[in-house]
Amino acid sequence: MTTKKRSTKKRQPTKKAAAAKKSPAKRSPKAAFAVATNEKKTSAERAKAFVEAPLATIQSDETAQASLNVLRDREQPIKVRLAALQSLQAASFSVIEFEPYREDYLATLREIVDDKDEELRQRVLGILAREKDGYVQKRLLEGLQDSSKALVPPEKALQLLSYDVHAEAYPVAREIVNDPPSPEAKREALRLLSADANSAPVFEKLLRDKEEDRDVRQISAVALQTVKPKRFQEQARELVLDEKEYDDIQATALTGLAQFGDEKAVAKDQKLMKRAEELGKAKSAKVKKTAKRFLTRYGTEK
Amino acid sequence: MVELTEDSFREHVEQLASDPSQLLDLLRENHPLYDQRGAATVVRMRGWVMLTLARTTLTDDALPFVIEDLDTGVDAYLVAAAAAALRSYPTPGSAFAPFVVRAITNIRYRDERLSLETYGGFAIGTKGTSPVRELLTTLRWLGPHARVVVSEIESLQTGPTALSKKYHADIEQILKTIRAETGVEADDCCRLPDSVRDLFSWMRIPGTNSSSITSTIFEDQDGHTITFGDYFHRRPSIVVFFYTRCDNPLKCSLTITKLARIQKLLDSEGLSDQINTAGITYDPGFDLPERLQNYGRHRGIHFAPQHRLLRSQDGLDKLRKHFQLGVNFIESLVNRHRIELYLLDAKGQTAGYFGRIQWNEQDVVDRVKEILKENETPANNSASSRFRVASPFLGTAVALGLALFPKCPFCWAAYLSLFGIAGLESIPYSPWLQPVLAIMLLLNLTSVWFRSRATSRMIPFYLVTAGALTIIAAKAFAGPTAAGFIGVFLTLAGSVWSTLSTSSLNRRPMKEGMKKVPIDLIQE
Repeated sequence: MTTKKRSTKKRQPTKKAAAAKKSPAKRSPKAAFAVATNEKKTSAERAKAFVEAPLATIQSDETAQASLNVLRDREQPIKVRLAALQSLQAASFSVIEFEPYREDYLATLREIVDDKDEELRQRVLGILAREKDGYVQKRLLEGLQDSSKALVPPEKALQLLSYDVHAEAYPVAREIVNDPPSPEAKREALRLLSADANSAPVFEKLLRDKEEDRDVRQISAVALQTVKPKRFQEQARELVLDEKEYDDIQATALTGLAQFGDEKAVAKDQKLMKRAEELGKAKSAKVKKTAKRFLTRYGTEK
Repeated sequence: MVELTEDSFREHVEQLASDPSQLLDLLRENHPLYDQRGAATVVRMRGWVMLTLARTTLTDDALPFVIEDLDTGVDAYLVAAAAAALRSYPTPGSAFAPFVVRAITNIRYRDERLSLETYGGFAIGTKGTSPVRELLTTLRWLGPHARVVVSEIESLQTGPTALSKKYHADIEQILKTIRAETGVEADDCCRLPDSVRDLFSWMRIPGTNSSSITSTIFEDQDGHTITFGDYFHRRPSIVVFFYTRCDNPLKCSLTITKLARIQKLLDSEGLSDQINTAGITYDPGFDLPERLQNYGRHRGIHFAPQHRLLRSQDGLDKLRKHFQLGVNFIESLVNRHRIELYLLDAKGQTAGYFGRIQWNEQDVVDRVKEILKENETPANNSASSRFRVASPFLGTAVALGLALFPKCPFCWAAYLSLFGIAGLESIPYSPWLQPVLAIMLLLNLTSVWFRSRATSRMIPFYLVTAGALTIIAAKAFAGPTAAGFIGVFLTLAGSVWSTLSTSSLNRRPMKEGMKKVPIDLIQE
């Protein structure tokens, strides 16, 4: 009797086994959700579970309420609450499926706008501000007028208020431009004011002021282009021609002219074209680049 | 800077709670109290006014504002307030049902918890109501009158457009009521109260003189400039107001889309060259030509010399005043506006208006065609204006003739001698003249009635009626006495008043008249 020699060839794993080895079996949304709401699991496990399957949070009234309870509960680990928020926020993009839960969701968010955790607070305020929620707008404005009621730093409050151009933030933004609590706040106030055509003179003045912070001047340039493009073009021309102007401001001005300039008027402007050619040989790489782009647009450079 | 805080406004509204007419005035979009307020603030303010009005009985005058928010509202608090307010109307009616169902469609994906008990309406936590809940409650209030929308209500319970399960019990209750009450007296199905019905049927406005804005310079979507006079004279026009940053898709965006459809209808009827269309922006500082071009193009607007989107280079103040625009601002931003479409005649004068509620494109085209017809024949126009001038005197002459008509041939001779023509025996006494004069008096009365109805000013008609009755009474009982002359005077006064310049008439609030109309339509 002969014994068959056992094959020494290594068995090739099946395709299925190979795939399973590469990524562990994905748990079902139900299973993930069970982990997410299980207080015996670690925060990391729960947070990961929440984020895995956002739609699991709204697969039923019970799961939705459980998710909202976690979000609302200030005793829960912050990591888990943030994950619950992320999950619910993702689920809210499925507008039709989320419809039954929107009412409770927004009410819960309003409940925690003053949460002690700054990240959670900012994210909640951000979501409500994007909804143009009147309650949040009121709270943010109160915080800008009375710092003891502020929920977020003023620059953040202004940024959130700017999501709704119809918000009542313009007067306080002007006050902040004139008397800023911080440079960041001033910049955000200017960005907010760029929605208001009446603010054009403010932007013009700041743009031409060489003593002004350069970021502020950049923001003013963009804002002026938005509300008064023709005026911006005139100002940009002056800035390019000014040999004593800063490089980055000149680069911004050239970019504005290149992108939005009146082709016929600019091409005929010999003085401007000559200056752009000079700037095409400038030391600053940024200026050189924007000058070349400008000259490409108006035909003298290929 | 805003001086009245929201708390003070709330107190102010409480003080006016017993005076619905003053409260109603607060619902005008262009009321000064809304100036420099944010949109969210305006929502809170208006919602509270509406809820306060609804504490007593909601009047017909308030209905257009309520219906407007049901028709096109996307602010949860205002829609909820409107739904609650409607329930204070004395009688439910089937005409309200489509608006309530439409409001559910508009607001369901913006549903949120709120409170109607306190000013501001924010609800935190689990307590409160929601616009969908309030709308369903209003459907329940309508009861069997909601039968006209039963299929829409059924689709809210089952199928792809069903509302969430938490509302199904309410919907079931509503359907039960509709199906059970077969014995309810059917109201005139879908007949709205006059004040709201007039928003659908266009408002014919006697021409308002446009001289104050004739020289207003506009810039169009291509950067070309043109004055109001150059664009809007010589041809009737359809004018809508809008702005590109409107965040209510049921207002400006839809308005411009429908304007594009109007253009197609005009084109299909061969009227594109005879009727202008124009969209004028409320936000000329931001809506520069390129933005107008993109906005219009994306909504199907066909641009042509007679079809443009316009921004005023001189600001909006004069246009606001002339058209009494229903809009207000925070800085240069619109904080609230109504839907408004104006029909102008060939002199640029306002001849008609559709407002607040979604208008039908074919209706607008049909109305502007009427205006076109009226403007088409200059001979007829001057004849008609001559007639309008002559008619009061004709009416008065008829009244005078009837008042003084002699009872007998001897009296006739006496009259002739009084007027120095006694020798004219060839003018016989003609008793048939009396009934003829009476018929002509009635014709004059009828023409004054039509004019009064068109202008919603009935006093001239009442005067002429009183005059006619006085003359007839004098003739019947006492002959040509002082009473007859009083009747002649009343006829003259009423006839002249009915043909007075309409610009002076339009500056007064339209509170009187046969039709109840929105009081904010034409105001100081």
